[in-house]
Amino acid sequence: MENLTEVLQLFLSIDNFIAIALGVVIGVTVGSIPGLTATMAVALALPFTFSMQPVAAILLLVGIYKGGMYGGSITAILIRTPGSPASACTLLDGYPMAQQGNAKKALKAALFSSVIADFISNIALIFFAAYLAKIALNFGAPEFFWLICFSLTIIISLASGSMVKGLLAALLGILLSLVGLDSVFGSQRLTFGNYNLMDSISFIPLLIGLFAIPEIIEFYRKKAIPHIKAKASGVGMTLAELKRCMKSIVRGSLIGVIIGAIPGTGATAAAFISYSDARRRSPNKANFGKGEVEGVAAAEAGNNGVAGATLIPLLSLGIPGDVITAIILGAFMVHGLTPGPIMFQENLSLIYALFLGIMFSSLILLVVGNAAIKYFSLIADIPKSILFPIVLMFCVYGAYAVNNMTFDIWLMLAFGVVGYLFNRTGIPAAPFLIGFILGPMFEDNLRRSLLISNGDMSIFVRGPITWFFIAITFGSIAFAIFRFFKDRNAKLISN
Amino acid sequence: MKKIFSATCIAACSGALLLAASISTASAAEWPTGDVRLVVPYAPGGTTDVLSRRVADLLKDALDTNVIVENRPGAGSTIGTGRLARGGRDADHTLLMASPGHTIGAAIYPDLAYDPVEDFVFIQNVIDIPNVMVVPASSPYQSVVEFIEAAQDKNMAFSHSGVGSSIHMSGELFKTLTGSQMTAVPFAGSGAALPALLGGDVDVSFENMPTVYSHIKSGDLRALAVTSAERSPYLPEVPTLSEIGEHNLDQFVTTAWFGLIAHNSFPEEGYEAMQAALDEVMERQEFLDFAEQLGAQPGQVEGEEFKQFVIDDLARWEEVAQQAGISQ
Repeated sequence: MENLTEVLQLFLSIDNFIAIALGVVIGVTVGSIPGLTATMAVALALPFTFSMQPVAAILLLVGIYKGGMYGGSITAILIRTPGSPASACTLLDGYPMAQQGNAKKALKAALFSSVIADFISNIALIFFAAYLAKIALNFGAPEFFWLICFSLTIIISLASGSMVKGLLAALLGILLSLVGLDSVFGSQRLTFGNYNLMDSISFIPLLIGLFAIPEIIEFYRKKAIPHIKAKASGVGMTLAELKRCMKSIVRGSLIGVIIGAIPGTGATAAAFISYSDARRRSPNKANFGKGEVEGVAAAEAGNNGVAGATLIPLLSLGIPGDVITAIILGAFMVHGLTPGPIMFQENLSLIYALFLGIMFSSLILLVVGNAAIKYFSLIADIPKSILFPIVLMFCVYGAYAVNNMTFDIWLMLAFGVVGYLFNRTGIPAAPFLIGFILGPMFEDNLRRSLLISNGDMSIFVRGPITWFFIAITFGSIAFAIFRFFKDRNAKLISN
Repeated sequence: MKKIFSATCIAACSGALLLAASISTASAAEWPTGDVRLVVPYAPGGTTDVLSRRVADLLKDALDTNVIVENRPGAGSTIGTGRLARGGRDADHTLLMASPGHTIGAAIYPDLAYDPVEDFVFIQNVIDIPNVMVVPASSPYQSVVEFIEAAQDKNMAFSHSGVGSSIHMSGELFKTLTGSQMTAVPFAGSGAALPALLGGDVDVSFENMPTVYSHIKSGDLRALAVTSAERSPYLPEVPTLSEIGEHNLDQFVTTAWFGLIAHNSFPEEGYEAMQAALDEVMERQEFLDFAEQLGAQPGQVEGEEFKQFVIDDLARWEEVAQQAGISQ
């Protein structure tokens, strides 16, 4: 009881509420600007937290993190420019929806699923942290290797239309991901002696180029498209639609929670895994990629499910799972707190005050997001001849801002041409991205496992976690082959 | 169509303006005459970045001017450092937070466009973070000597946060000096490397103090030695590697050092003003508290001594990189 009063004392301070609200507003704003990521915003806000109370300081950073996760989806939906890498998956269905005049619906779907996923993720953090942290510790290189293998099988379900084109795109993605320094020997691969490529191809310029630029090229190629002056932003999401998406949202949130609890995979992969899972199970499978509201919901649930869960290894083990949590770890340390088992013994009240704040941040996200949608969805009503030049400006600035490198602008434009060619030839971009994101993780964990075991292959079957992932990997492939033959037979019969 | 064209022109111009706005201008008379830039050659959020932002914050008061932190990450730290080496208009107000990446980068990347010593002036070493040789709590090795003896017959895996990090190079240096059988296992950063160490997948690591300090305190990791010249006040019972006195370890002294450097055209008055400002910063209680949180110690060397330290560091890493067959 005494603890409860202390927790409430720590939590019920006006500073905390201001910190959360400010954090979420900054996060949503920064997240929605291409090239400015939540990571950057958290890093820039860090010095301002030095002089704040510890709870308010951490809540400000967590607020930015969560707001940024959602904010990225706004421009992904409206102008096909993912504000952050994790929202790349959202645009697959979000942008087609906006084009069909359902921008507001897509934005609402993204917001609601973000908030629900965020809430589920927080619950996992508060009640299952100790348990999930244990799983994270048992997740070594071979376990990771099989997780990545399983994730790679989602290419099958993302290769809409032609399997050959899908695999081609994935392989091209993997090939480009090889550019940079070899992770074991440090030698240069495919950099052609160019220093700008030594740190591998920068992800955000690639994303912006791949998605935003082709739209602009297409627009100018076709010359002026008559602008429909109707209310293009459309109506919001209905309760029935939310209900229909609920299963995918919950499943996506849980995928996000598990991926988030294991350090090192990240929100982008979670979004794609959740998306492909939803697509595999949905009765509206054929509509995915063409403006399916469930696709938007699943993608956003996947990436927001990660947000609360990444705090699990941070708080319970002192292990930062990604760059943002590494910065938050820094903020803890500046205030003389060391996350990990000891903090649960020595600063329990503070942890619970933080938990309350984190729960509250989901609510704030809903309010701030709703307000943002009201204004942002007006973008969908701007004539394209005015909007696209502005988008182009943001593309250039966004590509530059990530690393302050002009080289990245050229990279972005080059990927713009690649994306345009993809569109023209019907090669899907999603498998390309999966290959680019998961390729290095596949290689690194394969090599890491063999380095740890001194070349002994038995490390790949060393325990229940590996067995589980081997089973679902092969299960997933077998299922795809089965479906392929079933579809073919069905076609033959109907012919 | 005309409309589209003019809108595109406006957009292009605005893009150029946005770019131009992020490049500050200044000229030198008495120093500082304008904002000071502090280039961090790493991405936001890393140790170098957090440290630089803290120092920038304190320098702002000491210099009575804005100190703007600018991240220019890439290729170890060589992209940001390369840009500083090119000089330019505002080189007289630009500083860079150098770290072991400065010397290790020069040792392992071929054909750098700059000379890591001659192209720069070395102002002051700000902070030193020791690395700690840690084994999992379940490990049978209680001391460095026991570990080395076991490593004569058994191959030991050591985790590190990436090729060319001070953690990686410390491991390679240990391997070279003691003749142990060791395999480097790379991870993407210390955060990803920690579970492998805690879970016992790797046998040992030479991690930065702040990363492992809480795990040593909680008993999940056992510290066998620290890599600095003197024992750390935070782990007074843990010996230094150099005091072991066997297996050539008396030569083993490394720390993750951080210090401010500038282009070699940096004005003399700026150099003096910076040293005075840094002296002031490093005496501030906020700075000492911050160093304590990192398990770090304020830097020891400045000016010519700092330069000599960098020269020695570079020579050592060149030798280790060559023996370990890293890059080049």
